[in-house]
Formats: sequence, structure tokens, C-alpha cells
Amino acid sequence: MRLPALFRTSVFQLTLIYMALFGASVVALSVFIYWSTVGFLERQTNEVIDAETTGLREQWERRRLVGLVDVIRDRVSRPDQERSVYLLVDAGLRPHAGNLSHWPQEFDQSVDYVEFVYTGADGNEVPVRASIIRVGQGFLLLVGREIRELVQLNEMFRRAAIWGVGLTMALALIGGVLVGLSAQQRTAQLNRTTREIIAGDLSKRVPLSGSRDEHEELALNVNAMLDQIENLLAGLRHVGDSIAHDLRGPLTRLRSRLETLTAEAEPSRANIEECLAQADALLDTFNALLRIARVESGAYRRAFAEVDLSRIVSDVCDLYRAAAEDAQLRMTCDCAEHGLVFGDRELLAQAMTNLLDNAIKYTPAGGRIAVHLWKTDQRVRVTVADSGPGIPAADRERVLARFERLDQARSKPGNGLGLALVRAVALQHDGKLTLADNAPGLAVTLDLPLSTRAKP
Amino acid sequence: MRVLIIEDDKDVASFTQKGLAQAGWNVDWAENGKDGLFLATTEKYDALVVDRMLPGVDGLTVIRTLRASNIATPALVLSALGEVDDRVNGLRAGGDDYLVKPFAFSELFARLEALIRRAGAAGAPADTVLQVADLRMDLLRREVRRGERTVDLQPREFQLLEFLMRHAGQVVTRTMLLEGVWDYHFDPQTNVIDVHISRLRAKIDKGFDRPLLHTVRGAGYRLDG
Repeated sequence: MRLPALFRTSVFQLTLIYMALFGASVVALSVFIYWSTVGFLERQTNEVIDAETTGLREQWERRRLVGLVDVIRDRVSRPDQERSVYLLVDAGLRPHAGNLSHWPQEFDQSVDYVEFVYTGADGNEVPVRASIIRVGQGFLLLVGREIRELVQLNEMFRRAAIWGVGLTMALALIGGVLVGLSAQQRTAQLNRTTREIIAGDLSKRVPLSGSRDEHEELALNVNAMLDQIENLLAGLRHVGDSIAHDLRGPLTRLRSRLETLTAEAEPSRANIEECLAQADALLDTFNALLRIARVESGAYRRAFAEVDLSRIVSDVCDLYRAAAEDAQLRMTCDCAEHGLVFGDRELLAQAMTNLLDNAIKYTPAGGRIAVHLWKTDQRVRVTVADSGPGIPAADRERVLARFERLDQARSKPGNGLGLALVRAVALQHDGKLTLADNAPGLAVTLDLPLSTRAKP
Repeated sequence: MRVLIIEDDKDVASFTQKGLAQAGWNVDWAENGKDGLFLATTEKYDALVVDRMLPGVDGLTVIRTLRASNIATPALVLSALGEVDDRVNGLRAGGDDYLVKPFAFSELFARLEALIRRAGAAGAPADTVLQVADLRMDLLRREVRRGERTVDLQPREFQLLEFLMRHAGQVVTRTMLLEGVWDYHFDPQTNVIDVHISRLRAKIDKGFDRPLLHTVRGAGYRLDG
């Protein structure tokens, strides 16, 4: 059912409330306009009638019946008085003077003014508003004014008010239905998409309308969220596949080696050690995976403290300098500035270790490695730049993922988890890891925010 | 040496027990914290190997209770790779060293030896001179001599040699060296430590008939007279 769903939309309900409010204000406005126009004319008419009545009563006081009849006749005969109505009758309702041929009808004596329709000599029906007073013994004097304009105006006004309120309501209702329908359509689309996703189709996206309203913003955000989820899932799947792939090989080799060993009467020590080394390599890979997962889980953040990054960098450089020299690389470490960051000393050291490890591993003999730490107002950056083969721009993002290695790198030892850990560490420290061209070589920059707790 | 293992994982316990027994050590095994605590308070041990996660009374509580009763038997805490502040908590509870499972037996053994040695040396006046065979280190003058020859060492090499000399005769693993000399507690993945050792070896052993610094395959290094 479409209609009940429409009635349930918040937009439609809001429209109804607005409709009621608008209707009420149109009614209030009409009442005011009525009071200040039709009401004004009515009051003016009453005043004229009152003035006439008072004048005629005075005539009666002074000259009794004769005088009153004279004045009425005089008034009636005056051409500019044609909109006035007079009638003097005796107790038997017989007319004595005036421009009405007969007493129009029985009147309610309690009201100040009466209204009636009088058919004139020319056959036209004329609405009249009049006041009736008693004069003398049994005489009734009716003094009135034709109120054709007043009645017309009243009628016009009534119609205008009905149309006005009606149109307002109708427009509000139509608007409400339209807005409600479109809102309902948009949310229905959103709901349909989310239901499809819940049902398992993660590739679905909320269709966009191209407008820039809040629905579009919501749709864009939902889509962005879905992209993120899909990426994460793809990442997970990839990690799962990679673990299976990367670990099955070594496990198979280990297994077959152990199988051969069982066939030997006297297993050689070298063979056993080889098996151990393979098992260790497998454990290392698992440990590295677990460590990345733990870093990403944010578990380390609880133990974060203020540490001097330059100290860590210089420690790690010190640790690696000998290895670099052995690999015939010239290594410089420029980290004199102090850069306090809020973080985990071990993790940051491990990250630096991985960066230097890579630099030494992939830079050919005779090359150089430059470690450089520098500070800006809010950030501290460490760049490890080497003169090795570098990483093509297209692959720089990819190699940060778990198990991703360049094909050229596969001949070197390693599990493809080093940079993934460095990136996880960077992210946990609210920093980032960027790879750039060192022309030639690779420049890896760890960019971290300076600790805000730093003392001046 | 007499060691108590408090560990609920039978495989880990028997593997450790076997290894230590092969080295000629006397090993008792308690399967839970309560029994372990009872044995540790009633018997005399040179060292304890305590798993963190135990049924009933957990490992850290065992150590804390022992320390509260003035039993200072050195304790090595074992833990599965899990919580981050495990090491800190383990040491704070009164543990003397810390090892993450899975571990190599050689690593456990080296650490246990070091623990027992350290406990034995505790209270003794601090050495100002260390000597292994004809290798002599003067800690006050920061001078190293082998025989008649002065060995010129970088500050870090000096620290490295000092650590090795303090553990003379024992196997020292790469992880122990990274911890003892650089004060970092992760696993050095590559050969960085080996490079430092080979440089040190070149300085103290080169030109001498009898090498002092030995590589122990699959385990680490040993400085021996």
C-alpha cells in the first residue's frame, strides 16, 4: 500500500501540521479583514440609522404625528435620500407615511437592528437594515437603509474566504503529498539498497539523483561507507587468501622435508635445523600478522606515552649502521632535532627497523641511505631515503598492504608484511606513511603529529 | 639446578621439562596455580617458569603472592602473544623476565640461566673489573684489554661486550642482546645483531689463537674462556 506509507512519512506529517497552521492563519486574517471592512460599513450604516431615528424622535416630541409625517414625506421626496427607507404605521400596521407600501413582516422586538428584503415598486428585491422604534400610542416607526452593497460585499467576502482557506489547504495538501512522495521514494530507495546489501549483495549502491540536498548527502555517505566496508572485506578476503597461499607453500615444503627425514635411519642435523628454520620463518610470518592485527586493533594506544622520536631514530640507526656498512652502503642519520610524539616506543622502533631493513635489503652495494628527521609546527617527519631501485608510482599504495610484494622483491627474504606494519603503526599514531621517488630510489616518510602535551 | 614449571599446557610443559632435564636440571611440574604456589612456597627452587594464564589462580597472582611472602626465587613469565602491556604487568607483578609463546627452547634456557646467575650475583658488590680468560674489562676506566693488547671499542660495542662478559659461559640470544644493550623488546628480524657481534669478534678475537666469542647455532652467542 502506497498511501498509508505516505501518511507515515515524517515530511507528510510535517506538511499536515503546516497545513493546519496556514489554515488557521488564513482564517484569522480573514476575520480581521472582515471586521475592518464589512464590519466598518455595517457600523457606519447603524450610525446613520441611529442619527435618523434620533432626529425623527425629536420631531415627534416637538410636533407629534403631523410633524413626523411631514418630515418623513419631505425626506422621502428628496432625491438624494433614495437609499433611506422610512415607514410609519399605526397599531393596525396601516401605513401613514414612508416609502414602503406595507409593513414588511413580523419582527423580533428584542434586537436593535433588523434586516429584511423588500420588493420595491420596480419589482427589485432590496435588502434593508432598519431600526424600529415606538412613537406615541401604538405607532411604530421603521427607519432603515438599503444595504445592497453591504450584502454584496459580505457575500464576496464569504466566497473569497472560503476559496482562500480552501486553496491554501488544497495547495498544502498537494505539496505535502508531493514532497512526502519524493521523500518516501528516496528513503524507499535507500531502504531497498540496504535490504539488498543485507541480503548479501555488497556491490549495490544507493542511486544518486544529482541534486545537492540532504538525501543526496546521505546517499553519498552511505555509498562511501559501503565502499569502505567492501574494501575492508576485500582486504580481509585478500589477507585470508594470501595467508593460505603464502603459508601453504612453506608448510608443504616443511612437511615433505619432515617426511623424508622419517625415512632416514639417521636424520642429519643440518636437515633438522633446516626444518626448524622453516618453522621459525612460518612463526615469524604469523607473529608479524598478529602484531599488525594487534596494532590495528588499537590495543597499544592504552599504553601510549610521550616519547622522543629522534632518540628512537638514532637508536635504530645505531643498530643498523654496522649492517649498512657491511652491505657497502653509506648511511647518514640526521636526527638532531627532538621530536616528542605521543606513542609507543617499541612500535615506533619496530617501524623504523622495518624501514631501515628494507632500505638495506633493496639498495645495491655502493649506494646510500639517508635518514632525516625534521619538524614543522605540529608534525615531525622521518624520511628514510635510499638509492635503490625505488617503487613505481603505480605500486606505491599496493606495497603497503599485507603480503604485497613487487615481483622483483620476491627473490629477497621477507614476508611482505614489513611496510604493512609500518603503516599500521603510523595510523595508530594518527600519522601517515608516504612513499615517494628519491630519484633514484625510494623515500619513505613517516609523518607523525607532535605530542600536544609537549612542555614549552 | 632445580626448576619449577607452572604451566597448564601439557605439551609446552613436557617439552620444556625434557629440554631442561637433558641439560641435567631437576624439573618439577605443577599443572595449576594452586599446586604451583604450594610447591614454590614449600620447596627450594633456583627458578620458576610461570605461565600467565592458568586455571584457578593465574600466573601473576602466584608470583605476587610469592613476593608478598618474601620468596624471591627468580621467575620467568610465559605468555601467549596477546595483550600489549603483558610485559609491563608481568614484570610489575614481580616476574624477573618475560617470554612470549611460542618460544624456542634455547631462548628459554638462555634466559633461565641468566636469571639464575643474576639472582646468585644479587647482593654481591658490583664488579668494577670483568674478566674472561685473558679478556679484561675495566668498567671504571672504560678500558678493555686482551692479553697485553688494548682493544679499542665504540661505546655500543663496549656495552655489548659488557653484557656478554656478565653472562660469560652462557648462551645469550639475539633478543636478549637487543634487550640488554639497546633496551628494545622486539624480535630483531634480520642479522643486525650478528653484524655487531662479528665486528666485536674481529676486535677481540682477531689475531688470537683461542677465540672467546662463539656462535651457538640456532640459539645465539657465548663468550667463553
